[in-house]
Amino acid sequence: MIAVAERTFGLLALLAILIAVVTTVALVRRRVPDWLRDDVALPLATAIAATATGGSLLLSEVAGYLPCTLCWYQRIAMYPLVIVLGVAVARGDRDVWRTVLPLTTIGSAVALWHIAIENNPAWGGPCEDAAPCTIIWVEEFGFLTLPTMALVAFVAISVLSLAARRP
Amino acid sequence: MTTPTKNARTEARRKEREEQRRADVKRQRLIYGGVGAAVVLLAVVIAVLSVGETDDRVGVSEVAGDVEVDGDTLPPIPDGAADPAVGQPAPVLSGADFDGTPMTVGDGAQLVSFVASWCPACDAELPLVVDWLTTSGPPEDVQFVMVSTNHDDSRQNWPPQDWFAAAGYTGDVLVDDVASSAFRAYGLTATPSWVVISDEGEVLFRASGMIDPAQFDTLAELAASG
Repeated sequence: MIAVAERTFGLLALLAILIAVVTTVALVRRRVPDWLRDDVALPLATAIAATATGGSLLLSEVAGYLPCTLCWYQRIAMYPLVIVLGVAVARGDRDVWRTVLPLTTIGSAVALWHIAIENNPAWGGPCEDAAPCTIIWVEEFGFLTLPTMALVAFVAISVLSLAARRP
Repeated sequence: MTTPTKNARTEARRKEREEQRRADVKRQRLIYGGVGAAVVLLAVVIAVLSVGETDDRVGVSEVAGDVEVDGDTLPPIPDGAADPAVGQPAPVLSGADFDGTPMTVGDGAQLVSFVASWCPACDAELPLVVDWLTTSGPPEDVQFVMVSTNHDDSRQNWPPQDWFAAAGYTGDVLVDDVASSAFRAYGLTATPSWVVISDEGEVLFRASGMIDPAQFDTLAELAASG
């Protein structure tokens, strides 16, 4: 069951990469379609944050993976986004990017640090012996580890919240 | 100048347009929600199909053992607080190793490590344990036992007996059952987990996660002195 969940998260992360790239291109070209800006961007960002939150809880509380210190820092940045974006969707708040970006920037920075440590185990990082930062619990398609998936989610949420801004 | 009748008609048209707009928004949301649900469902189906591509290797039921638990289930290990299980009687686990040799956990001075073969942290820790066992190991009156638990044949390092053998571990192993009864009886939620049991069968220490190899001796001495 957990193997299926990990593969599902891997596939959704690939989809999130595609969403992030397409949305970034639309933002750079200043041609964000109305349907994306008005109807899809914020609910999709909320869904990504909710999936990342649910996935992290599933892997720690059901599968028994021990979150390391850097995992916790990424969780601190990700979990509030579900509420922040959910409220923004309910209220039609297009300026939510002002709250979202600080959280996603911090989360992305920690995720990048975690990815660097995964690739350079000698660096060690700030984690405790019981749950080292260097342990790779999940690796889908050869590159999607948990911090990589978190980074993808943070970036996708960032660009989607920017795409939802008023024209 | 407009008549009241004309005003009423205009108002009715406005309401109609507003209702139409609301219906359109509702329909649009349903379509987007449906597309989203379909995408997630498709991802799950692809995941099931791709993960399900297993060969003819042995399944969990063929590897898992039969474990009898005698005693009360221990409470979960609290985060950052004193462990309420310390001082409690350890549940006595009666089972066998991979060859069917009877094995008991919880009835004497023991250092117990609960591991899952697929767990990356267990995989990182096993060679350190083997090193420790070959260089110093526990005192003679302390038994070191590994409990092979949380079996999953869809993941790496399956079957667990091959994983132990590949790492050079030839010590005692109790094989947990399909429901991970041994793991649950000790109130554990993660692998690896460590439990120290006294000569009188009391829990002296529990910890989730990897242990600094420098502490192996300390924990074994705790079991001996308890």
